[in-house]
Amino acid sequence: MRFQDVSLRKISDSEWEIPQGAGMLVPGRIFASEAMMGDIVRDEALRQVINVAHLPGIRSFSIGMPDIHWGYGFPIGGVAAMEPDGGVVSPGGVGYDINCGVRLLRSGLRVESLRARLPELVAALFREVPSGVGSTGDVRVTGKELDKVLTEGSRWAASRGYATADDVEHTEDRGRFPAADPEAVSATARKRGEDQLGTLGSGNHFLEIDEVAEIYWPEAAEAYGLFPGQAVFFIHSGSRGLGYQVCDDSLDRMAEYMRTHRIVVPDRQLACAHILAPEGERYLAALAAAANYAFVNRQLLAHRVKEAVERALRMGPRDAGIRLVYDCGHNNAKFETHEVEGKLRRLLVHRKGATRAFPPGHPDLPAAYRAVGQPVFIPGDMGTGSYVLAGAEGAMRLSFGSTCHGAGRRMSRTQAMHSAKGRSVLADMERRGVLVACASKRTLAEEIPEAYKDVSAVVDVVVRAGIARKVARLKPVAVVKG
Amino acid sequence: MTRPRYRLLPHTADLCVEVRGDDLPSLLAASAEALFSLLTDRRRVRPEERKVLPVPPAPPDEQLYLLLRQALLLVSSGRFLVRRAGATMESGAVTVTLAGEAADPSRHEVYREIKAVTRHALSVKRDGGGWTARFIVDV
Repeated sequence: MRFQDVSLRKISDSEWEIPQGAGMLVPGRIFASEAMMGDIVRDEALRQVINVAHLPGIRSFSIGMPDIHWGYGFPIGGVAAMEPDGGVVSPGGVGYDINCGVRLLRSGLRVESLRARLPELVAALFREVPSGVGSTGDVRVTGKELDKVLTEGSRWAASRGYATADDVEHTEDRGRFPAADPEAVSATARKRGEDQLGTLGSGNHFLEIDEVAEIYWPEAAEAYGLFPGQAVFFIHSGSRGLGYQVCDDSLDRMAEYMRTHRIVVPDRQLACAHILAPEGERYLAALAAAANYAFVNRQLLAHRVKEAVERALRMGPRDAGIRLVYDCGHNNAKFETHEVEGKLRRLLVHRKGATRAFPPGHPDLPAAYRAVGQPVFIPGDMGTGSYVLAGAEGAMRLSFGSTCHGAGRRMSRTQAMHSAKGRSVLADMERRGVLVACASKRTLAEEIPEAYKDVSAVVDVVVRAGIARKVARLKPVAVVKG
Repeated sequence: MTRPRYRLLPHTADLCVEVRGDDLPSLLAASAEALFSLLTDRRRVRPEERKVLPVPPAPPDEQLYLLLRQALLLVSSGRFLVRRAGATMESGAVTVTLAGEAADPSRHEVYREIKAVTRHALSVKRDGGGWTARFIVDV
């Protein structure tokens, strides 16, 4: 079967293969339904899956998740695992917003009991959680203190009273990439990061109050502390300007490295360096520092949410019962052990718009989740809802322990703006039962629900493929956007 | 202010911009203005302060990239917004002068955060009627 100029072989209702063509070192593997392919082929994403398959050291497959769309070099929703010896690391395989991710906070509260005070609560969250372009956090870190943030990640937050030991335990990699080196982060990147710690940002970043609308797997829901009708808080943000600058800085160095080492790739956005070369190691050290910054950023946001909720509802921490379920990134590159051709190998796994999804029994999971698998959060559009999944066995066989990260856009921002013209998005959302507070009406128009693919269809594909399992569905009741 | 010399082209996740100019310096100046039009209503920005961005001799697409990266840093690190841009060229080097002011939340709505200007599909072409540039910003 051919979609535009890309030939595809259907493997099952949820998997496709792009056969290994000229120059490709591995085939492509796409997780999608036939119906979704109509949207996927409208942009350059499949071509990008093919381009990634040309990168030195890639193993098994160049992978696309069902929320795949056109990105910088790599598609968003792309996964690629590289052999350290002779393989490359590519900043385009991580993205500008290094360790952008989501965290879910559960509470002891029921949404029904909050309804009357919801406007007051949303106003408090909008006031107290810095969001929007140019917003600054109230924790300003410079010099050696910033070094500690970049080196220690969530441990720094715990040492300053912004995180508990439980928070650290329930963060991917326990909130710290150990390879971080602050010296690898430029002065410009540091400057951009100094006053942005604890800020949400804008665009598709958000803070949501959701209701647990449906439970699909009671044992996992219980392990994650979720119950029907429960109020939960969902945070989506990343490494802010510091991470963007780390990526930008590295691209020039990698372009130069490719020239001197005669690495030829089909697209210059796939700038890369050998993993074991000083240029590769330096990028990985800066990436780790930015990832640690992102963990701290989301931890500080969570701290502010907790404080704002307790204050607005005049409750003590015990009554509100807000605890971290898990924090997972979806723009990363890190070393993990995976089985390839029957042998365990240490590989550098790039995930760009893809989430780690380790299955039950994986030693890297917190003890409380080891029996059911890693929590994975898949935000949908702001009107429809989101999913809590658990990593499943198939992920280790088929996708280097990875699954999707969201619904994925189907409309350009311009199309979304046109579509929203002449109507009040705020009023539309209120009619759907979702209260919205936002810094920019333009951002809101760009993020209208119809701009995104159907998150349920995306989730159904990864569940059918056996790379994740459904735990719960969340229904938004309030959204704060930058 | 003259009519916009740029338009947005379809792109699923980011913003793809096409800019026209009579010659390379005016194309670069128009590209800088287009970048800031993605960020704010430039008519509300007062041209009170000038920033001069030097662009060394290089292929035109590289010059565009170097200019836009510097221009973006003005806003992301210094919160500087631009009303208008002008450019001159000498021995292949371009000097772009940006007139604007620091963002004032009481007067300026900043529409979005631009993470970076990318090399993705970035091009500068000369045709019969002048010059055309295309670039994508990551948002």
